[in-house]
Amino acid sequence: MTKRFGDTTAVEDLSLDIPDSEFLVLVGPSGCGKSTTLRCIAGLESPTEGSIYIDGEHMNYRVPQNRDIAMVFQDYALYPHMTVRENIRFGLEEESGYTSEERDARVEEIADLLGISSMLDRNPDELSGGQQQRVALGRAIVRDPEVFLMDEPLSNLDAELRAEMRTELQQLQHRFDVTTVYVTHNQTEAMTMSDRIAVLNKGTLQQVGEPLELYHAPENRFVAGFIGEPSMNFVEGRHQNGTFTSEFFEYPFDSGIRDDLSDTSEVVLGVRPEDIDLKRLPEGGSSGLADHEFRMTVSVVEPHGDRNVVHLRHPEDASESEAIHALTAGTTVVDAGTDVVVSVDPDTVHVFDAATGEALHNRRLESEVEVHNV
Amino acid sequence: MASSSSDQTFDVASFVEDYSLYRISQYVLVVLFIGFFLAPLETGIMTAFKTNRAVAETIPLMPPLAEGFTLDNMTFALNALSGAFFNSLFMAIPATIGSVLFGSMAAYGLTMVDWRGQLGVLVLFLIGIFLPYQAVLVPLARFWNNIFPLASMVEPLFIALPFLQGYHANLVPLMITHIAYGIPICTILFRSYYQGLPSSYVEAAKIDGASITKIYRRIILPISKPMFGVVFIYQFTQIYNEFLFAFTLITGSDTPEAVVTLILPAVGASTSGVDFGIRMSAAFLAALPTLIIYVAFAEQFAKGLRTEA
Repeated sequence: MTKRFGDTTAVEDLSLDIPDSEFLVLVGPSGCGKSTTLRCIAGLESPTEGSIYIDGEHMNYRVPQNRDIAMVFQDYALYPHMTVRENIRFGLEEESGYTSEERDARVEEIADLLGISSMLDRNPDELSGGQQQRVALGRAIVRDPEVFLMDEPLSNLDAELRAEMRTELQQLQHRFDVTTVYVTHNQTEAMTMSDRIAVLNKGTLQQVGEPLELYHAPENRFVAGFIGEPSMNFVEGRHQNGTFTSEFFEYPFDSGIRDDLSDTSEVVLGVRPEDIDLKRLPEGGSSGLADHEFRMTVSVVEPHGDRNVVHLRHPEDASESEAIHALTAGTTVVDAGTDVVVSVDPDTVHVFDAATGEALHNRRLESEVEVHNV
Repeated sequence: MASSSSDQTFDVASFVEDYSLYRISQYVLVVLFIGFFLAPLETGIMTAFKTNRAVAETIPLMPPLAEGFTLDNMTFALNALSGAFFNSLFMAIPATIGSVLFGSMAAYGLTMVDWRGQLGVLVLFLIGIFLPYQAVLVPLARFWNNIFPLASMVEPLFIALPFLQGYHANLVPLMITHIAYGIPICTILFRSYYQGLPSSYVEAAKIDGASITKIYRRIILPISKPMFGVVFIYQFTQIYNEFLFAFTLITGSDTPEAVVTLILPAVGASTSGVDFGIRMSAAFLAALPTLIIYVAFAEQFAKGLRTEA
């Protein structure tokens, strides 16, 4: 599917196959085309090229009401002049096969399910953000659609409520077993809620996969940087004779990485902050450091309680700009300004092609060790 | 200085500070302007209740005293205008409702529904606003009199209706003219309001399965209630006070279907001179309907202006 607005291409050649009852999250920075994609599925925009099928049926020329979809908007779009009951009922009015009493009963049932029965006769502007969100959900659920479309539904809520609604949305989705396409720019929402994530950037699909697959085996530098908080460290440099050289670092690659790289010379090294180990500087200064260890200076420490984000720079780096950041356990305390030894296990290193951004080598992962089922 | 005596507590110094020269001059200016704008109105109302002698002998701003007071002017003016009142309201109310409703529908169609050639139609509406009335008077009169004599077509119907006379049919062309010429400005007013509404209302309703007409009827029309107040007041005042079309399409002040604006210049004027008491009474009475509309819709008006801003 391709969507162009005049000369600007919002979505370029996007192809997605979403199985039944899957929770798919479209994620990407603002302006990446994720909302446009959703609106095309909804029928609010029509694709310039390509086709949309829902349940095997061609949808391009169908108006939204004939697509058997429901959508939750970012601003909820609750009709301000109607009560909660009328809002939820509105979508049912055009559905055939209901008597008036059945419609009322269905509204009550959904309200009960969402815990908003007591507010049915109030106006939307008397409700809190979380309650309005529930009403918007109710309006979508009541029609029992084939597909749920959600356009950043949690972005207007405060952090605590957002976490709560996240779980609730997941439970609802499991309960109704409805295929859901969820758009967000928030990678935490994407990671925590989805069955699969589709990462978009500048209108092109970067990668589709399960959350952990995207986290540990990103296909390119954009996905690697976008998924994960704090984001992955990138160091640009050259690859020569099996060794990575940047302005301040020299990092010998082992045979596994060398095989993947072949003869690409301009590369980017990527390391997740949690894969960087910090050690106290030994007595002998920086001499006697192993191959994959470096001496670095702590510039800033951000304590989070459960973990600390340590920003590091190279001691000879005059620009004082942050070079990399590492994640330490909450109980590990480092003072800003001290020198530490940084070690990076070659098993955890990602290597990207500097020109194309493509992943040449992803970290080694023994699934039973890294991702074990409880 | 604060007084030293214990029972007197207010602080004179702060009092003086509050009434700085700047503030005093501000208030003086405000009072002067209020006086400037309200004096003619006051004069008019006072004159309306004075006998001819009192008008001649007292200062116009003064209220009528003892034997100078009379209600005769009012009753005379009311008698002279009563038929015209009915004519004016009979014409202005449907014309207002019509132009406001059509304007709102047109604005909805031009803002919230996508279709080809929208811009061209919008441009036509914009041109409609700037069309000078003087330029269309003669064609308009010819159209309603010779090409499409609607008044004489509906006259038999009007004779058959209760409360109405055959001559009331002459108001129908005027009514339709006002609707037609009111639509552009109403459309533009509603358009700016609709552009400010979140598009997700319409989109949500579309997904909920509502048709274009149902979205208008159930969502847009109720949401734009405050705007209806604003446009209704504006449009009613325009149509009620309008003179040029009325003068062209209704032959004169001596006809039974004449509207208030046609009758008003003639009331109280005679060969023996101008009766100011009667004139002022008539002017005051003629302004009443618009005043009543303003009061009745004041809340909506304020709400509409607020939401528009």
